Amino acid sequence: MLSLSINGQSYPVDVPDDMPLLWVLRDVIGLTGTKFGCGIAQCGACTVHLDGQPVRSCVLPVGSLGNRAITTIEAIGNTPAGQKIQQAWLEVDVVQCGYCQSGQIMSATALLQRTPNPTDADIDAAMAGNICRCATYVRIRAAIKQAATGKAEILQTMVSAPAGAAS
Amino acid sequence: MTRFLIIVVLLALIGVGAYFYLNRTDASDGTAPVIAGAPPSASVLARGEYLTKAADCTACHTVSGSGKAFAGGFPFKLPFGTIYSSNITADVATGIGSWSDDDFVRAVREGIRKDGQHLYPAFPYTSYTQLSRNDVLAIKAYLFSLPKISQPNKANELSFPYNQRWVMGFWNAAFFKNQRFVADSSKSPEWNSGKYVAVALEHCGECHTPRNLGFGLEHGNELAGQELQGWRAYNITSDQVHGIGAWSDGEIAAYLTTGHAEGRGSAAGPMAEAVQNSLRFLQPADTAALVTYLRTVPAREGKDPISVDVKAAPVIASSNAAPGGDSASADNPGLRLFEGACASCHQWNGQGQQTPYASLLGTRGVNDVQGANVTQILLHGSDMRFAGPNIFMPAFGDAYSNTEIAELSNYVIGHFGNKQGAVTPDDVAARRKQF
Repeated sequence: MLSLSINGQSYPVDVPDDMPLLWVLRDVIGLTGTKFGCGIAQCGACTVHLDGQPVRSCVLPVGSLGNRAITTIEAIGNTPAGQKIQQAWLEVDVVQCGYCQSGQIMSATALLQRTPNPTDADIDAAMAGNICRCATYVRIRAAIKQAATGKAEILQTMVSAPAGAAS
Repeated sequence: MTRFLIIVVLLALIGVGAYFYLNRTDASDGTAPVIAGAPPSASVLARGEYLTKAADCTACHTVSGSGKAFAGGFPFKLPFGTIYSSNITADVATGIGSWSDDDFVRAVREGIRKDGQHLYPAFPYTSYTQLSRNDVLAIKAYLFSLPKISQPNKANELSFPYNQRWVMGFWNAAFFKNQRFVADSSKSPEWNSGKYVAVALEHCGECHTPRNLGFGLEHGNELAGQELQGWRAYNITSDQVHGIGAWSDGEIAAYLTTGHAEGRGSAAGPMAEAVQNSLRFLQPADTAALVTYLRTVPAREGKDPISVDVKAAPVIASSNAAPGGDSASADNPGLRLFEGACASCHQWNGQGQQTPYASLLGTRGVNDVQGANVTQILLHGSDMRFAGPNIFMPAFGDAYSNTEIAELSNYVIGHFGNKQGAVTPDDVAARRKQF
């Protein structure tokens, strides 16, 4: 029986040591916000944080984790950086189909946590492992900058309009 | 005229004499030193199983994934054609079920099969010749205890003159010494056990010792490393810079038993198979003996020597999450590929994120400017299934062009080895066809 520390909570799980964390999250615990994309650490959809570092949960054997803190998309909004990223994501309306976005937000939050004012090159290096088939890359970059600076980078969406405004 | 004929006849006689002299057999049964995993007190089947693993028979005689243990059919792609390994199960019609003890011993130690034909030295009788008769027969007993599998041998696809087996008699005369293991009484028992494990059983030299133009092992250049089937079998002499002289005993033992030594590298390709099929089954005392022997292999630089930079400047300047200190600019195509496909597991500081097996700093692969093994693992990936969780790297051969693989290889060599990589798209094209 393993005990995993996920989003500040302890989860006892009875799974084989070599089961990838993604399977445990989705199928055993039921945290389905983290997505399965390629299964071989190539697309980034399954990104979660391990002690604040973005990792690909689809290739991370759960037996190797010990007590390290796992953060998933469900709780990333509780961190200051995660909150800023999610707000910017809404304001810029990054999402198109949305499948890759859990992973995008996790990678972007990790970037902002270690580099509060990232350059284009920083963003490229941090986000290159997250693939988006809808090609929302331009909006992702703008949203990361907006989250960092608090200034509007590109056209904003209706989502951030004041409550009660005509739509 | 008569004198000329006499000279011709004399030369012919000398030639025939030399042929038979050089092909003389060693009639002795041979004596093995103490092997911890196969003590005389154990049953013949237990000894046979251990020795069969230690000699890594399965690497060539079982097609992986086929489920047909020892039924043969594994292809060896050589410059002059393809040889297939044979069925060595006890099936009478297609295997070696009708072979007597003497037939089997002769095949293993002299490279001559039951019908008197020569075997090709893809089968390492050149190493197994040192085995004791007792050990060879234990292996036979073990093989004969396993299920018989009916699977006819595949015909070799060799061009003339390589398809003429009798020619191997001359190859043997030139390159093969038919001789049992000789203990060196000036060395410790442990060293002698280690030599027997390294040479007679594990046949390390068949990959790690360079070969001459005639494909014979260069015995004066033992374990100095060579490229084989597109992979580089590294220099494992005691050379401090180019070999494994700077590794600790514990590092060598860890590499042999788990396929990974911290800060030194992880096995992949054929070496990963050797660990998976064979080396990890050695008992600790036998591994220790093997290490003792390797320690004494004379230091040699070898061809295209590799000097490992254990503190490559670009790596030291990088964090786990971002590159630093690279001469490569941000739009270097190799860097672009690395950040997209590689960094999330290997990390910019080469520490490896998901598993220590993914660490790159200090490995010989990234310090080899020819990039042989870097290219191979990029093309073919890696999949080791014995060290606890699977150690897995996807294959990128189908995803990237030869140019991209070359750019990525050279970037990896530059960043993690701090050297100018020399991999060309043509090299990649050639390595795609191997292994």
